[in-house]
Amino acid sequence: MRIRVNRNTCTGCHLCELVCSLFHLGAINIEKSAIRIHKDDLNTSMNTPRVCRQCKEMKCLAGEDAVDKSEKKQFVWENARAERCPFDGLTVFGQDAYHCDLCSGHPQCVRVCTCEAIRVKK
Amino acid sequence: MVLDRKIAFVDLGEGSIRIEPFPVELRQQYIGGRGMNMFLLSKYYTPSLDPFSPQNPLIFGAGLLTGTLGFGSRVSVASKSPESGHLGDANMGGEFGAELVKAGFSHLVITGRSPRPAYLLIRNGEIEIRSGRALRGLDTVETQQKIRSLLRDDRLQTACIGPAGENSVRYAAIRSGLKNAAARTGMGAVMGSKNLKAIAVRGTRDIRISDPGRYLNYYRRQLKKLMQTNWVQALGKQGTPLLFGAANAVGFLSVRNNQFTSVGQRGYQLEAEALEPFSKGMVACHACPAHCRHRYVIDAGPYKGTRGEGPEYASIGSLGTKLGNLDLANIISAVERCNRYGLDTISTGSYIAWAMELYQRGILDRAKTGIPLEWGNGQSILKILDMIAHRKGFGDILAEGSFARDMLGDSCGDYLLEIKGLPIEMTDERLPKSFALGLATSTRGACHMRSRPSMDALGLPQALLKKIYGGPVSNRMASYNGKGRMVWWHELLHAVTDALGVCRFLTAFSSPHALQYRQFARLIKLTTGLEISSAQLRTIAERIYTLERMMLVADGISRKDDTLPKRYFEEPIPEGPAQGSVIEMSDFDRMLDEYYRLHGWDREGIPTRRTLNRLGIAT
Repeated sequence: MRIRVNRNTCTGCHLCELVCSLFHLGAINIEKSAIRIHKDDLNTSMNTPRVCRQCKEMKCLAGEDAVDKSEKKQFVWENARAERCPFDGLTVFGQDAYHCDLCSGHPQCVRVCTCEAIRVKK
Repeated sequence: MVLDRKIAFVDLGEGSIRIEPFPVELRQQYIGGRGMNMFLLSKYYTPSLDPFSPQNPLIFGAGLLTGTLGFGSRVSVASKSPESGHLGDANMGGEFGAELVKAGFSHLVITGRSPRPAYLLIRNGEIEIRSGRALRGLDTVETQQKIRSLLRDDRLQTACIGPAGENSVRYAAIRSGLKNAAARTGMGAVMGSKNLKAIAVRGTRDIRISDPGRYLNYYRRQLKKLMQTNWVQALGKQGTPLLFGAANAVGFLSVRNNQFTSVGQRGYQLEAEALEPFSKGMVACHACPAHCRHRYVIDAGPYKGTRGEGPEYASIGSLGTKLGNLDLANIISAVERCNRYGLDTISTGSYIAWAMELYQRGILDRAKTGIPLEWGNGQSILKILDMIAHRKGFGDILAEGSFARDMLGDSCGDYLLEIKGLPIEMTDERLPKSFALGLATSTRGACHMRSRPSMDALGLPQALLKKIYGGPVSNRMASYNGKGRMVWWHELLHAVTDALGVCRFLTAFSSPHALQYRQFARLIKLTTGLEISSAQLRTIAERIYTLERMMLVADGISRKDDTLPKRYFEEPIPEGPAQGSVIEMSDFDRMLDEYYRLHGWDREGIPTRRTLNRLGIAT
């Protein structure tokens, strides 16, 4: 299961980011959301959501000793892993990176995306 | 926590900044946003306060729910208006309000005049006054780009003015992003008078929610309900231009300065469908599920390369039919030019329409205007925008708005359709009586957004209307019956909506199934923990609205000013679907009586001592 995003239909409303941080941390902070919209808001108005692609071969963990399953499903990671992601799919804020854990199988962002720019791909 | 947000008092003359808490007692009385703006403004407001003086405060206020999942994330701006000379108030969507609260601030109260061009930089609880010299003369998009580049942060959100604000055009807007504008009542001109070019904000603080689990569940339920309404579904596809077709078909559109009210079959050129070839998708304000604005590009023709967001129905009407202009690409280009210069599209269009009617009647001629101001002359429209923003030639006169009457002579004033110093907008209200009353009573001068009971256009069952409004209301737009009640009810709901930072379009503004007091009370409780009942929210709305009224009363405003332009009473609509419609003075007076009674104001429109005591705002 993974989340697919569509930059052509994303409206940049931030609802995905708002609920991601709220669901995981109990507080709203779009800087601490695993999905992040990159906005070209003073030019083309294009909105590009970025989120973990759930790669089978996790390049973000390259070089680390065996990482156990539960660690792979953590929401807050250290930011070195974000630097290794070739897709820029992790949000970095301060010392932490925010990693999509798929909300235990029920991604919250998908439920509030009214423009259907975020979908689940099983 | 939401309730920890601060109020900052900035004196640009002295260069001082004072940061204070937002007392919870004031939250319970005024909520935030426009409500708190009015409380703060009332402390400075006097009849003799010159809008361009350093003492006039420029107040920014984020709504209580701004920055949360609160159905929009709006910010209100208040000051004494240089356009009307009375109460100034404007409201803006986009990202700026949310960024302000993420930085820890609810309200900014800016007084004084900076000795040199300045901008404010706000970052997580800190405010700096910085030199704005490098920003002088830049348009509103360039200003934002320049600040991001100077500070190397592409997530900064900036509210700024363009050349129009710098040049004290009385209806200059404050702008943010490509399209958002706190446009009405000349707030950008006040900002310019303070030598303040911009306010740049970056905030990364947590917004802690009182009851996150229940909050998220409740939010999702309301979201689902809202997204099922026909109104929000249509809005998300077509944006506000969807309203153009209805206004044209029914005959409440301003055409050629309200000499006519429909363009008939030719209207297809400006209907929502006509915008589709330009649209590349939809864009939303912060936390808005409706996404009602287009991002557009003009790919071909004389305006090739123009891009932006919108345009709104209000701008299409104001720079289109109101000026006899049916060239959509030209209108889009004119709207974009207004946005770049930082001009209010509505007022700008209205003053140009005034000048065009004077030109039509030979009261103005080319020797005076310098350019041909014939109806529908797209090139002249673009040219006059340049002249207004830079105060060149005849533009210098038109930049004065209704104050230009003094320069143009008495006979000119008859053709300026205005109420309390603000011009009539993109519509004509001779047919829809509730719309007419709402313009007459609005506390910021002629303004559809103060009350506009769009539900009046839906022809809902009478029983349902009675249930919503608490009394009998006719479901015919042309009827006067119950319309005083309708306007009163919407003025109050919208006052609370603005205090919360919620977008009107997601409330019972246009759909009986959308958000109202009950949902607001629940959202406030789950977000902040504050217990404010629906009934208390209604009282807060009354407090806000009556406080606004009291500032106008201090200016000498009363029943005599709650009126409409002469044309509405004396000239029946000459042709089209609303042919013959006119406002009957006796029926209008009857609506006004009902309206005053419900507000607890006397027959002259002055709030009674009893009302002031009940609302706790007696002086």
